[in-house]
Amino acid sequence: MGEDFKNKFAIVGMGILTGRRPDVSIRSLQVEAVRLAMEDAGLQRQDIDGAVELPMYAGSSDRPRPTDAFPRVMGLPVKFFYSVGRGGAMASMGVITATKFLELGIAKNVALVHAATDWADAQKAKERTKGHRGMGGRIEKAGYWGKPFGDLRAVSHHSFFAARHMHEYGTTSRDFGAIAVSQRKWAQMNPQAQMYGRPMTIEDHQNSPILVEPYHLFDLCQVSDGAVAFILTTAERAKDRPKPPVYVKGVGFGEAMEKLWWEKKNYTHLAVESAKAQAFSQAGIELKDIDLAQLYDCFTGEVLFQLEDYGWCPKGEGGAFAEAGHIAPGGDVPVNTSGGLLSAYHYGDLTGLSEAMLQLRGEAGERQVKDARLCLVSGHGGEILSPGMCSIHSTLILGR
Amino acid sequence: MSATQEYRKPLPNVDYDIKPFWDAVRKHQFKLFRCKECGAWYWPVACCRNHANRPFYGNMEWADASGRGKVFAFNIHRVAFDPAFEDDIPYVYALIELEEGPIIGSNVIGIGADEVKVGMPVEVVYEDITEAYTLPKFKPIN
Repeated sequence: MGEDFKNKFAIVGMGILTGRRPDVSIRSLQVEAVRLAMEDAGLQRQDIDGAVELPMYAGSSDRPRPTDAFPRVMGLPVKFFYSVGRGGAMASMGVITATKFLELGIAKNVALVHAATDWADAQKAKERTKGHRGMGGRIEKAGYWGKPFGDLRAVSHHSFFAARHMHEYGTTSRDFGAIAVSQRKWAQMNPQAQMYGRPMTIEDHQNSPILVEPYHLFDLCQVSDGAVAFILTTAERAKDRPKPPVYVKGVGFGEAMEKLWWEKKNYTHLAVESAKAQAFSQAGIELKDIDLAQLYDCFTGEVLFQLEDYGWCPKGEGGAFAEAGHIAPGGDVPVNTSGGLLSAYHYGDLTGLSEAMLQLRGEAGERQVKDARLCLVSGHGGEILSPGMCSIHSTLILGR
Repeated sequence: MSATQEYRKPLPNVDYDIKPFWDAVRKHQFKLFRCKECGAWYWPVACCRNHANRPFYGNMEWADASGRGKVFAFNIHRVAFDPAFEDDIPYVYALIELEEGPIIGSNVIGIGADEVKVGMPVEVVYEDITEAYTLPKFKPIN
């Protein structure tokens, strides 16, 4: 679509549900978040004629299937409904999907939603396994490799990314800690953040238990219940909505399997290069034009890699860059201003999308970034059979 | 392992593509996927990238490999996410860069967790965990 994609489509409504929700289904969370997004957009049932579900692993797991989908529950007169998503890259894929339906005139307003019951599920697992948050099955999931060797959870295979970066560039645990501390500062200005009211110093980070060395507890993200929904429409229709539209400026994708994996660089780099090139070219922008960024932060290392891979600092200097305060409140590159996955809530890249919406509309309260016009939202994830290959990276540029 | 003692850790998920690897490991042999045409090595299963448009799987075979490599990166598990691993804490889960080139994930054993270093030469050792399964692990080469 190239340059002519920019400003053709806009998000006109967003709904976010946070907090612990031990007895609510994924479906009910989706319904309520979509209702909030419709309310935000000033739209009624009959206006929503397309719907997309954004699960982390589209087409698998026991999440609600299309036979019992949220649009049916809500009575939305949709012409299509299905699931897209690959690990934490869901919002970006949802945007690509919905814009094509809008462009073809199949739909006028598309509702997209991600919901999670991960915190509630973890509590149930804890009861089942007497305090251990682990393992349901006794057989490795298809497509995965490491469980028989004790690669049991995401931190088991993400921590050797950090370890390899430390080996190659001399990065330290304190460097990763600087990112955690910076995002915790942002979270202190977000009353909905799970770590609101719980500030953290670098000493707190260093003294937090080492779960899987080199990662401390505070290098890990939150586990959350909740949902984020948004309504996408054409720029023309967006003008009639009550709130200022947030335009899609560009969207791009990269995969570690394109190049990095074969070069054994996927342990220290994310597949930013292609994703950034596509999204920035569509948007007609350079890195310096980005006012703030919501970078996928399942662990502190992923943020550090992206600071380097997008070019905010040279490769290997992400730690020093974070320690210098660039990404913290008051810095020149505000990153993960909600507190992010690390300190606020984990809805994949919908955490970033929800924060981008608030910031670009000037609704971010105490943490509002002044003159926020252009926000980058990244996504990350995918299968890990091939050692350490969380393959996808996505770049979504939203703006006023 | 006695028949009365249940193996509590997760077992491998053996699909059709990787079954020859696990069958070989069961016999204490270490095999990798190799290109019949140019000898390039792959793990996990991949079609050789060096030749355009050849019959992909048809050009590949499972072949005996050295079972030696170097530690590429590693972590140290200091908590057990599954009670079955409690007795192993602390344990090392590592990426091993094999002599043939591919990287494989496994445990480094036979050495204290805090003594493992990136670049350390290691070789495969076999752990028979059940009647049906053997795990390829790695120990330092003296």
